[in-house]
Amino acid sequence: MIGRMLSYQLLCSDLDTGATVRFMSDYFQDAVSTLISLLTLFSFLAVMVLSLVWLERKALGRLQLRLGPTRTGPFGLLQPIADAVKLVLKEDIVPNDAERVIFWVAPIIVVISAFMLWVTIPFTPGIVVENLENMGLFYIGAVGVIGILGLVLAGWGSANKYGVIGGLRAAAQLISYEIPLIMVLISVAIVTQTFNLVDIVNLQSPVPFVLVLPLGFVLFFVAGLAEVGRTPFDIYFAESEIVGGPFVEYSGAHWAVFFLSEYINTFAIATLTVLLFLGGWSGPFLPSIVWLLIKIYAVILLIFWIRGTLPRLRIDQLMAFAWKVMVPLSFYLVVCCSVYVFYEMPWWALTVMSLFGLLAVGVIIYRYITAPARKVAEVRERLRSLQMTQEE
Amino acid sequence: MLSTVKGMIQTLSSTFRGLRGPVTKLYPENPTVVQNRFMGFPGLTWDKNVDEPFCTGCMVCIRNCPTQCMTATMKDNPKFADESSKRRKIVDEFEINLNRCILCGICVNVCNFDAIVMTHEHEESGISRDGSRMNLSGLLEIGGRYQTQTGWQPSSKD
Amino acid sequence: MMQDNSENQTIDMMLNMGPQHPSTHGVFRMELRIDGEKIIDVKPHIGYLHRGSEKLSEGEQYHQVVTLFDRMDYLANFNNELVYCMAVERLLDIEPSKRTEYIRVILCELNRIASHLLYVGTIGLDAGAMTPALFSFIGRDRIQTLFESISGARMMHNYFKIGGLKEEVPTDFVSMVKGIMPEIRQDIDQAEKLLTFNEIFLSRTKDIGVITADQAIDYGLTGPCLRGSGVNYDVRKSEPYSVYSDFEFDVPVGLDGDCWDRHWVRIKEMDESLKIVEQAINNLPDGDVESSLGRRLIRPSAGEVYVKAENPRGEIGVYIVSDGTDKPYRLKVRPPSFCNLSAIEPLLQDSWIADSVVILGSLDIVLGEVDR
Repeated sequence: MIGRMLSYQLLCSDLDTGATVRFMSDYFQDAVSTLISLLTLFSFLAVMVLSLVWLERKALGRLQLRLGPTRTGPFGLLQPIADAVKLVLKEDIVPNDAERVIFWVAPIIVVISAFMLWVTIPFTPGIVVENLENMGLFYIGAVGVIGILGLVLAGWGSANKYGVIGGLRAAAQLISYEIPLIMVLISVAIVTQTFNLVDIVNLQSPVPFVLVLPLGFVLFFVAGLAEVGRTPFDIYFAESEIVGGPFVEYSGAHWAVFFLSEYINTFAIATLTVLLFLGGWSGPFLPSIVWLLIKIYAVILLIFWIRGTLPRLRIDQLMAFAWKVMVPLSFYLVVCCSVYVFYEMPWWALTVMSLFGLLAVGVIIYRYITAPARKVAEVRERLRSLQMTQEE
Repeated sequence: MLSTVKGMIQTLSSTFRGLRGPVTKLYPENPTVVQNRFMGFPGLTWDKNVDEPFCTGCMVCIRNCPTQCMTATMKDNPKFADESSKRRKIVDEFEINLNRCILCGICVNVCNFDAIVMTHEHEESGISRDGSRMNLSGLLEIGGRYQTQTGWQPSSKD
Repeated sequence: MMQDNSENQTIDMMLNMGPQHPSTHGVFRMELRIDGEKIIDVKPHIGYLHRGSEKLSEGEQYHQVVTLFDRMDYLANFNNELVYCMAVERLLDIEPSKRTEYIRVILCELNRIASHLLYVGTIGLDAGAMTPALFSFIGRDRIQTLFESISGARMMHNYFKIGGLKEEVPTDFVSMVKGIMPEIRQDIDQAEKLLTFNEIFLSRTKDIGVITADQAIDYGLTGPCLRGSGVNYDVRKSEPYSVYSDFEFDVPVGLDGDCWDRHWVRIKEMDESLKIVEQAINNLPDGDVESSLGRRLIRPSAGEVYVKAENPRGEIGVYIVSDGTDKPYRLKVRPPSFCNLSAIEPLLQDSWIADSVVILGSLDIVLGEVDR
């Protein structure tokens, strides 16, 4: 449509039809190759999501001394496919009071934003749909936010109070944690002086940024967990409180789309963590794509491990954590990086500064989060003294 | 913070335990072995000496059943006439609605003839609504299976 | 501050939580009036699991009523059977044998552990941690398998008879109980270690759902909910029934009366229960477990009786009126869960939606008992 309008305008403005035809053919060639690479990316992501679903169910199962899926194929490997088939075949229920258009559009917004993020993420220097050389990080920061809109719309459109609460929680949580996430991206950009992800990875060849910016790594990982709504930050679809939040009224294929986007996002956060901090695809012996996948899966297993261990925070604690700990520290990180670049210090100076920040965050979290624990200790002390007096 | 780290270490070790051998087992391949005293659905026992059920249809269990899930009728025992059996009366029809049965075992306690037992049957799902109404032959069948499986003997209280 | 401008006013949202909500522990329904994420008011609705157990009891003979008590608090079946059997025994003025009492106490305390283990799992689920639930079921399954080998059923035992037990315990009873004791201790550790002192769990439960001692007494709370508030009241200690006076055990008491204190009291209670089981199994007397009544029809003389006992959830009371027939004329149960649940209104006011499920979980209600 846009192409046709463009060509019409061109035709009107420029009578040199030969040039227009050349332009058109270039345009179509470009479009076709982009389409092919997008399709490849999509099928790759679908396979990754299926593997993640299986991995999560199996890993959590073993963590909880269960078997996990076993029936479908060897080791239950085909379980995600069975899930997908079941979800697609299920009846797609739309509530009577739902805002139909919003209800239908919301999952599409969520999945498209999750998918668009991947356009510029490189797997190796060669394998990438379109490496946006001057704005890769910027693009990621910009596109990543769109998904929130879908979640809020889903919650509102489904005419369910749990959905509304979930949607609003999602908005609050995701916007709050977007700030430290983007601040960390900025500080990485300041250090590397580039927005190009391939360059960022290449610059990490002697020292991965996890050593240079340990604070940045922690902030990015925690904010990333909150962005994809993983335990302990799964507030906006908390099953035991608001029963799935924005997804509560969705079923069948629509729910599957949410599910897909959730896992694509998890995979994206893990990939970005690897690209920005863990040296990307660099590593000895093995091919680079294998190294990348190994690192990504290690980060994802860490996410699952955390999910298997921790309870969920409350919404006010979550917001307090974002605005009182994460945001100030991410600003501190930006300042550190600027100072480092301005005075051209050696790289370990940044490590020291970053570690200092990490220490600060450790102390703050420790004080903040162990306040009840200290109170418990106090209570025990009082109990002991009570018992002593009783014995006397 | 420390406790969280401890928790992470605990789940890590449980993961390794889970990889070695999870607690749960695949169900139809490794069915849970029921204990000796397990109370499954009630069944009627078979007196092998005289080749007839122990049950005389005396209705004690029916009167004591908290959910009124059984019915029975009795008849004159043909074997009593030719003196091959000591039982004057014998059960004619016996029906238990296993959907109503609450597996309390009261019927077994009150029975004077050791005629009813709580068998080890517990997988009695069916696809028809009255599929779990057991008549005399069905009850004798699951009771007989219980007898052969566990070597059940009537107690000598008489 | 408050402007009386009707255009600028917002209305509170009614949020219907339950009866088909994953964290209302069954079919409990709360009508929450919420302002944003804060709960202003709560209106509890019960009765979705009403089976009329008390009325049904009037139509059952005394020995059949035990089955109904099994199904009231379905997580502490032995404890329920015990209190009913004690009530009828007092009505009949008979004493079970010493061995019967010891076995009953052992089974009841094991059942208390099983019930509290399930609590650890559910509070974990309510707080968002799913692993403790699966860990705690390992220990619970161990105990239930033991119950199965003794009574023949995993949950609805019908094992305690009026004046005795249904049958003698298996010959390897002592070794079986002694065998699973250390394993249960490990299982308890494994299940609660992930939660009790976890920082996030502490921040979710400490100073949440506070009920003071006076308030708790006013609302008639019993069991861990009362002891969490610092009131040292345990029927096993204050008015020892059965053979509890023979055993040495402590009653753990909290201080603040918040969710965490209730949690902590339950964790400690499991240790005390293990202590009781250990003492009882080591001093298990010989003797008969048959009821002195034999198989006679139970026909108490006209009169009434009220007996109370300590269930995992609190003090259960059974009131029986007999008119001299073989069926109770009237039977009334004072269910601990129901009385504990009555405090839900002051507890939930001005709390967060997320806290409501944790508070409800820390009360540890069983809807089968609330609605009866």
